[in-house]
Amino acid sequence: MKQYFSHIIFVIFLCTASAYAQLDSIQHLPEVMVTDSKLIQFSKGFKLEKLSDSLVKRIATSLTETLRYNTSIYFKENGFGMVSSPSFRGTNAAQTAVIWNGININSVFTGQTDFNTISPLNYSEITIRSGGGGVQYGSGAVGGSIHLNDVYSFKKIDTTEVGLRYGSFSTLGGNASTTQTWGDHYLNVGVNFISSENDYDYVGKNQKNNHGQFVRFSAKVNEARKLKRGVATWNSEYTYNDRNFSGSLNTKGKDAYKDITTRNLWQLQQKVGLFNTKASVAHLFEQYNYFPNSEKPLNTGGKANTFIGAFQSEVLLQKKVRLNGKVEYTYVEAEGDNVGDNSRKTLAAVVLMNHKLSEKFNYGINFRQEFLNDFDNPFLFSADAKYGVSKNYALRMNGSKNYRVPTFNDLYWYAGGNIDLQPETSYQVELGQEIAFGRLKIDVAGYYISSEDLIKWIPGNGGLWQPVNISKTRNYGIEAVLGYYIKFSNQQSLDFNANYSYTKAEDLEKEKQLIYVPFHKAAGTIEYNFKHFSTYVQGLFNGEAFTATDNSESVDRYTVFNIGAQYTLPFNPNITFGGRLKNVFNVYYENVAYRPMPSRNIQIFLNFNI
Amino acid sequence: MKKIIFITFTALLFVACSSDDDNQPEYVPAAFEKGILVTNEGPFNNGSGNITFISEDYSTVAQTIFKNVNGTALGNIVQSMGFQDNNAYIVVSNSQKIEIANRYTFQSVDSITTGLENPRYFVSVGGNKGYVSNWGDPNDNTDDYLAVLDLRTNMISSTIPVAFGPERMVTYNNKIYVAHQGAYGQNNLISVISGISVESTITVGDVPNSMVVSGSTLYVLCGGNPSYTGNETAGSLVKIDLSTGQVSQTYSFGATQHPTSLTMDGTNLFYNLDGKVYKVNSASVSLPGTSIINGSFYTLVAKDGKLYAADAKDFASKGSLIIYDLTTNQQIQEFQTGIVPGGIYFNE
Repeated sequence: MKQYFSHIIFVIFLCTASAYAQLDSIQHLPEVMVTDSKLIQFSKGFKLEKLSDSLVKRIATSLTETLRYNTSIYFKENGFGMVSSPSFRGTNAAQTAVIWNGININSVFTGQTDFNTISPLNYSEITIRSGGGGVQYGSGAVGGSIHLNDVYSFKKIDTTEVGLRYGSFSTLGGNASTTQTWGDHYLNVGVNFISSENDYDYVGKNQKNNHGQFVRFSAKVNEARKLKRGVATWNSEYTYNDRNFSGSLNTKGKDAYKDITTRNLWQLQQKVGLFNTKASVAHLFEQYNYFPNSEKPLNTGGKANTFIGAFQSEVLLQKKVRLNGKVEYTYVEAEGDNVGDNSRKTLAAVVLMNHKLSEKFNYGINFRQEFLNDFDNPFLFSADAKYGVSKNYALRMNGSKNYRVPTFNDLYWYAGGNIDLQPETSYQVELGQEIAFGRLKIDVAGYYISSEDLIKWIPGNGGLWQPVNISKTRNYGIEAVLGYYIKFSNQQSLDFNANYSYTKAEDLEKEKQLIYVPFHKAAGTIEYNFKHFSTYVQGLFNGEAFTATDNSESVDRYTVFNIGAQYTLPFNPNITFGGRLKNVFNVYYENVAYRPMPSRNIQIFLNFNI
Repeated sequence: MKKIIFITFTALLFVACSSDDDNQPEYVPAAFEKGILVTNEGPFNNGSGNITFISEDYSTVAQTIFKNVNGTALGNIVQSMGFQDNNAYIVVSNSQKIEIANRYTFQSVDSITTGLENPRYFVSVGGNKGYVSNWGDPNDNTDDYLAVLDLRTNMISSTIPVAFGPERMVTYNNKIYVAHQGAYGQNNLISVISGISVESTITVGDVPNSMVVSGSTLYVLCGGNPSYTGNETAGSLVKIDLSTGQVSQTYSFGATQHPTSLTMDGTNLFYNLDGKVYKVNSASVSLPGTSIINGSFYTLVAKDGKLYAADAKDFASKGSLIIYDLTTNQQIQEFQTGIVPGGIYFNE
């Protein structure tokens, strides 16, 4: 058992050390296991960026905000707190998979995750995996995937955290969580909420965001129990969102949206001879209600249940070749006012292989084949490799075939749904370089994605809009991440992180850039630490993004700056307080045309560790 | 490689230049006196519609004329436009308002921002009164109404509750004939409005989507219920004798044919069906008539021997106005418009 643990720890450590500079938290938490270990073991030739705890806590309002400032992902956000859909490497929202403890949680109805419905505080780790992940994570992992993972440990832990937040626009937030271990048990329980009037000024427009109120409540329970030859785990979460939808510069907001999700995952890991086996059962529930008029009870809605049963077995041969085989059965049933009552079954077989050829060279080959469902199930594959050229320089490459199955809305929406749709398919290659000189770390990646049979809703004869497998796109770009850390003395240090991306995403028929994909995006943070005090400046540049398919209209480029500071009491290191001034220069900006983002505002927080 | 350099360079240029709503140089003629006006709905959710002007001699094309003259954009979903004397009444449905501007200069005159709920079309009657069809809450089939505007004060003087889904309107003898297309659903009525009350209703085919008046005859083109309703009905052309207010004849299309955009020039009726424009002689109607032009258009207007056809393309990029000569049925002009061109009007 111990060996197994220490191996995982070693792998985690390796990965942490090779990823970029913001990875500072995990080293302080030894003997911590991630529930989705294949993310690390079978992604050697992929870029993984793990967001540190402190970074997540600093920007705790929404997952949109957390990722906007720390990754190259662009978020098409309909005003602060409203529907927020990502564009990862120029792909659309349904081509970015969100993975909770190894399970794809994109909506059965839309195929997307609204990143403003997810609390970043509900997870132990948030990792961004760039590039195609279809083999491991199924439909929608085309541009990349966002991993929300929980961890467990059987070391002595007894921590309780309480945080309080207050901010402009009557924003109130709070979180409480406790992690306890005793004997063979691990237990982590937490709740958090945020509510806001969200009535910010539209800078320079003499208007206010009058209909953007939101409330979000999340709760989680994570439990693990050490068994004789294995571990049993249970991960559970609940999220409730109630939002009024903001209007735009020239329309009044009227509608509202409520959604509930619950997720449960039970896993049993057992060591059988050479094999590490894992049996898992999961249940996902999602429900939404859309209110065209927030003051009237009339609404349309839908709910879906997803049941997953999986079995996997892994073996490490000669400490070099890691093989993992998995069979996964998924049953989805959904009903909704606009989609009727439908179900889908999928059986997937996955084989993952990673071979550590030498200390310097590591490669992997992975396959997935699906059965049962109503489409021509593509055979997916991916291959990746990492080569440590020297102590300071490593090369990484990967290629994959990925897909996205039509959503229940695409198939069954009344009126227009098209049951003849086929999955979108996509090929991707990536070449990355990792450079590390002491405290300087640089990661530069170039990628190329070719996608076809993309599902697009187009108007047909008689004005009825219908989805068809029609578009072809070609995306390519460059992403650069830079981290630098200077230690002046025992008490002072400076931490610098920046990322830049150039994204060309082209509709091949029109030969135009896809809408809502900016060519340029850059973000950076400089943080200064002095004893118990730290302060930072954060900047974001977002290039112009087209909003019309002929590139005749666009949202303007913008640059926003935030500053923040926090202080931990020297006589009581369990109390930390701080604040953040957002949009320091009070600039007008929008991520979706005519949907302004907040004016200058302030947030303060107080965190206790008990 | 050259292409990549070019793309990169262009991309840099885009970033370097301050962006503008449209890349064409702004042209602000003194007036828009003689020519074609096209209302462009604009992007569906996020953005503003606008108006394109094309001079009668085709020498001048001006985009976003209201914004160019007044400095402010019109609003979300520029649905339609109506006229009285020198004024244009621009119905901006999703912004819940009517902008009033001089139809020749497009100088803003006034705006009506209260009392309208999902306004659709405007007609004027007798010089002092305007009528605006309103869906009300589109999810409530019982709150639809006409707003009656006093054109001297630009205030709503009264409202007339009407059947579900009022849309296009025509006037004849100081009466207003309202086609109840049925908003997001389907309806099959024409309301006859006199003064501030509903005088009668006339049952026509399902989904009356366009109308023309010729002499004392009202031609109503009904699309029929689309197949997705599960209750598909054939399109029809309904002739109403306005002197009696009765349906005088109904001509039926094929069971799965759903025509749109009825317009008339001389004695010929024109409409769009399944990717073709058809011509029918009103004196001896036989459907579907003669197919004269290929294309699916968002709206059609026939006038003085020409057919003006709006092509909304993918509804997310600039559309165009195509002008055909009805003697040869050949395209004679094509002009770029704004996004989703939905209304064609003339200043003479």
